[in-house]
Amino acid sequence: MERRTFLATLAASLAPRLTWADVGAPAFLAAGKQGEIFFLHGLTATGTSLFRIALPGRGHAAAAHPVRAEAVAFARRPGTFALVIDCATGATRHRLTPPDGMQFNGHGAYSLDGSLLMTSEVLAETSEGRIGLWDTRTYARLTDWPSNGIGPHDIKRLPNGRLAVANGGIRTDPVDRTKLNIPDMAPNLTLLSEDGALLDQINLPDLRQNSIRHLALCGDRIAFAMQWEGDPAEPVPQLGFWTPGSAPVLCNPPTAQAFTMQGYAGSIAATPDRVLITSPKGGALMLFAATGSHLATHLRADLSGAATAGGIFTVTDGQGAVWTADDAGLAPLATGDTQWDNHLVGLS
Amino acid sequence: MHHTARILIAAAAMAIATNARADTAAVVQDHIRPGFSAFAEAATTLAAIDSCDLETLRPAFNAAYDAWMQVAHLNLGPTEDNGRGLAILFWPDPKGSGWKAQRALLDGPAPSPEQMAQQSVAARGLPALERLLYPTEALLTDRCPLIHATADDLAATATTLSSAWGPFGDLMLTAGQPDNSRFLKPEEATQTLFTQLATGLEMLADRRIGRPLGTFEKPRPDLAEARASARSLRNITLSLAALKVLALTLNPDSPKTQAAFDQALSLPEAIDPDTDRLTDPQVWLKWEILQQAVRSTRDTAIAELGPALGVELGFNSQDGD
Repeated sequence: MERRTFLATLAASLAPRLTWADVGAPAFLAAGKQGEIFFLHGLTATGTSLFRIALPGRGHAAAAHPVRAEAVAFARRPGTFALVIDCATGATRHRLTPPDGMQFNGHGAYSLDGSLLMTSEVLAETSEGRIGLWDTRTYARLTDWPSNGIGPHDIKRLPNGRLAVANGGIRTDPVDRTKLNIPDMAPNLTLLSEDGALLDQINLPDLRQNSIRHLALCGDRIAFAMQWEGDPAEPVPQLGFWTPGSAPVLCNPPTAQAFTMQGYAGSIAATPDRVLITSPKGGALMLFAATGSHLATHLRADLSGAATAGGIFTVTDGQGAVWTADDAGLAPLATGDTQWDNHLVGLS
Repeated sequence: MHHTARILIAAAAMAIATNARADTAAVVQDHIRPGFSAFAEAATTLAAIDSCDLETLRPAFNAAYDAWMQVAHLNLGPTEDNGRGLAILFWPDPKGSGWKAQRALLDGPAPSPEQMAQQSVAARGLPALERLLYPTEALLTDRCPLIHATADDLAATATTLSSAWGPFGDLMLTAGQPDNSRFLKPEEATQTLFTQLATGLEMLADRRIGRPLGTFEKPRPDLAEARASARSLRNITLSLAALKVLALTLNPDSPKTQAAFDQALSLPEAIDPDTDRLTDPQVWLKWEILQQAVRSTRDTAIAELGPALGVELGFNSQDGD
């Protein structure tokens, strides 16, 4: 390590680390575009921006450190970098670059104690999945594990330390994101142990073109959201539940709403008894009970970000609005001129 | 409805319209509401026919289908609610679920209007009527009761839909007003209509043209919409013409878009309306040229109307990940 880098790293690790409470205790992180500039915002539970930090370009998702006011913002796929941002000062503390021949693939998760960051990654040439591990004291690369699938996207840490991985199954061109294997794609949902060992895995033999992409924890189950790459005229589910050790359960809306989501779920969020999925393509969100039954559908153009705080669902859209959603409907919390991006990240 | 009541509603709508953006108001008042009203009228006329003679029913069926094509691209609000749009036109149906459900209905006692409304959307609407009015196989059972039940249900759906466009249209006309939580800013209603235009042209190219087009090696005339009633190409032309009306009502001064629509609309007359002819490479190429013209019309309309209206397609819906 060069002396200068070493000193900078040392300074960073010795500087006082402010907590989320020190920056106003935001409930969510959200990226958005205002004018031509992309920002990362900290939002209160009612959608008010507490701070905003300029980003170098459009991001995909962020991950929040469990204690420190620190977030990692991931570039859009194929991701060549991720930025560790000090949310108190707005400074970029670290710029993470995956090892040669690898790319970030959109999402990341911290360990429970915040000592490790895990990132979804692919080998650029084959889209074979890896989970990168980073030491959050210095954000040095530690190692990586196989994700046990192609094109991992979202990852979620379980309360017991295990890691759920949505291996989307899609091989993409390393440069332009073109999908290369749609006819024979094979997504899976994988459970890894705390040290990266494969514990369990499911796939959807009858729905192999339904890419498993986003995850949320619903009680002790993993709720997963899918994006259909097959014939758009076929009605397919966008939501499933998985309890490791058993078969997945898929959830269908009523037939009359089979195409409302246009085969696409962009984000997913869950409380212990509800799951919410959004479809920016369909301009809709759906709420399902933890039992799998469809509860409600609410329409709003370009809805995408979804998260929970205190058991309440919050969703964001590309038209600048932040909403609260329940079975009865959508109610606006805040509106402005920031176009909210794909994902809303809960800090609870 | 009484004549006076109609006038009062029209007056109320005009009062509201003074607050809306001109582009949105024109589409709601001149394109959407008259279109759904005409469809409701055509569906009601069809349902009123007290005959099971196919030759008597078919012209009214075709008139209703024609009327639907004027508004089929407006898949929002009341059309999307409760799957009404699907209950009117469930297509494509690659698994043939509509006919399966209808066979079961034909084997039992005739469904009441209430029972018909509870059936799967695949077993209802225009394609369901088409299968009964243009049968491709001999049936032992009397299809007359199901024809009437399906037509009555269609008329009821169409009437409800047309009525629902009253209040929903008002929401579009009051976009951005404090008590309107559906459209928070005036431009949101305009953006919604702009999105319908882009999506409608995509659907036309990808589905109505794209499904029967298949590939050069394997055309799929069997996948064409409304093939039994020989309406496939007619529906494409009607849909394109209706989308042109939407575009030019949204923004009348759109010379490039108008030229692109006119170019695309000039193509169908040189195409044999018999979809079976798609297996002829010459005919196949004409369909493909039409598909390209529709896609190019979409690109032109987005490029010209977007900046003129000050709206864009969805920030997230166009991104995807």
